[in-house]
Amino acid sequence: MVPLEWFLILSAILFSIGAYGIMIERNGLKVLMCLEILLNSANINLAAFSRENLMGQEFALFSIAIAAAEVAVGLALLIMLFRYMDTIDLEKFDLLRW
Amino acid sequence: MSYGLLLPELIIAASALIVLLDVFVKNSRGRFAGYVSIIAILVSLILVLKDGLVDPTPYFNDTIVVDSVSQIFNMIFLVVALLVVIAGVAYTEDKFHPEVFYSLLLFATLGMMIVAISNDLIPLFVGFELASLATYPMAAFERERRGIEASIKYFVIGGLSSAILLFGLSYIYGVTGTTNIPQIAETLSANIMKPASLLGLIFVVAGFGFKMALVPFHMWAIDVYDGAPHLISALLSSASKKMAFIAGFKVLIVGLIALRFDWYIGIALLAVITMTVGNVVAAIQQSVKRMLAYSSVAHAGYIAIAFVVISKSLEHAEIALAGGILHIFSHALMNGGAFILASIVAAGVIARAKPGEEDNLENYAGLGKVAPVSALLMAILMLSLGGVPPLFGFFSKAVIFLSAIKADLLWLAIIGVLNSALSLYYYARVVMYMYWKDPVLERVNEPLLYVLPVAIATVGVLLLGLYPPTYRWAFEAAHTLLQMGGVP
Repeated sequence: MVPLEWFLILSAILFSIGAYGIMIERNGLKVLMCLEILLNSANINLAAFSRENLMGQEFALFSIAIAAAEVAVGLALLIMLFRYMDTIDLEKFDLLRW
Repeated sequence: MSYGLLLPELIIAASALIVLLDVFVKNSRGRFAGYVSIIAILVSLILVLKDGLVDPTPYFNDTIVVDSVSQIFNMIFLVVALLVVIAGVAYTEDKFHPEVFYSLLLFATLGMMIVAISNDLIPLFVGFELASLATYPMAAFERERRGIEASIKYFVIGGLSSAILLFGLSYIYGVTGTTNIPQIAETLSANIMKPASLLGLIFVVAGFGFKMALVPFHMWAIDVYDGAPHLISALLSSASKKMAFIAGFKVLIVGLIALRFDWYIGIALLAVITMTVGNVVAAIQQSVKRMLAYSSVAHAGYIAIAFVVISKSLEHAEIALAGGILHIFSHALMNGGAFILASIVAAGVIARAKPGEEDNLENYAGLGKVAPVSALLMAILMLSLGGVPPLFGFFSKAVIFLSAIKADLLWLAIIGVLNSALSLYYYARVVMYMYWKDPVLERVNEPLLYVLPVAIATVGVLLLGLYPPTYRWAFEAAHTLLQMGGVP
């Protein structure tokens, strides 16, 4: 059996990749993918921790469904953005600045 | 087994689907959807109020528990939804596909109610996400550039915060081996299991911090409240943010109560910075909408004091938590009312004369003559936000500060009171502009459907602070919540 630590290290790496990507990425689609990586890193954790009971896997199933819904909303918003601005480059946002 | 106590949620869920039928109603322009949502929300609100403070009733294998906490929070969410929906009937009339507005609003309300009744991490997270996913597109409802920008920003930050939250929850599950919140508290109080539980705690606080818009996680909130239509901002800052607080109460105060010494310093810092930054930056804003956005950040800081007091001393936890719940309620009314009112002024008064600068404070000059009813309501709401007795905003804030003093956190109470005094400056400035300056615009008619919700909120602000059962409810809810965490 694969030790628990390995899963945790994998999920920590994925989480870091996702968080880094969201911070530096300009392309809306790539940001969406990074969000997915973030959610999936948590799913790996949940599934890995689920050794004594199945609640973690249950939780992971719910969160996969939620991630799918999130992508649907995100893609809809990006399509709207593209129709309006002809780009999905998030750097072009300049109306709302503090 | 009777599902009577879940009827409010079921009604909201059903109506969220029914309002979509508005597409088939001829010449409805959103009226049908609007009235169906008003009726659904009113019926659920009456059901919640009729049942009142119920004893904890578990459903679905203890994953959902209806108790006094969930009842009081369901009431807050439904009241805010009602205010927004009534104003929405006038607002959505000439918009593209108005039924979508109502459907998303009802789904968001449903998500918040699910968070309030959840007793398990899974429904809590699902409700949290339902409320978030429904509000992302609402910010772009007007399909203009500012709204779309606000919406995408909200989506990215919201997605990031829920991923961080889920990551933290996964660690809490890993440490305790259960997702049931009272069981988590039980396991952790027997064996605290650092540092893995601390890791979970940090991620959970960060995840909730984003949604509660605590400084330094607040940047998105200002832009989103500013870019979204006023009514949506009212919903986001009065209901969606409060949902993060009830979720925080459940996870931190019930589930992770054993780790309270570890979150003490962190949350104390967050609360102080949030109050101060929110108030100082709000004081220099020229746009009323941005001012309200920063003021709602500052109020989140006041509410966060409750967490600090609880982590310091369990003896005074009940009064602190009651103060937090009271301030959540009063802020929901005041802030929701103020945002809806800003919407009236922007859409009905200023846009006709000066389109493009709807939210500029200069245009509020002489509002007392231009729109007397709106100006009066706005003045009451502003004074209540600033904490002037005998309005609800004063009493709720006083309970929080009192709990801080009782728990030997005098410094925190002093910072809070100083902040409150500073906030009075910018709230009073709005009142001064409305009554002591010469009007720049013509006298206008105020649409009833807009004024009605603000009037309801204002009456609530005027009376609820002097109405003893409000406090009884809050203390009862606080007591239940603490008992769930195993605090005597």
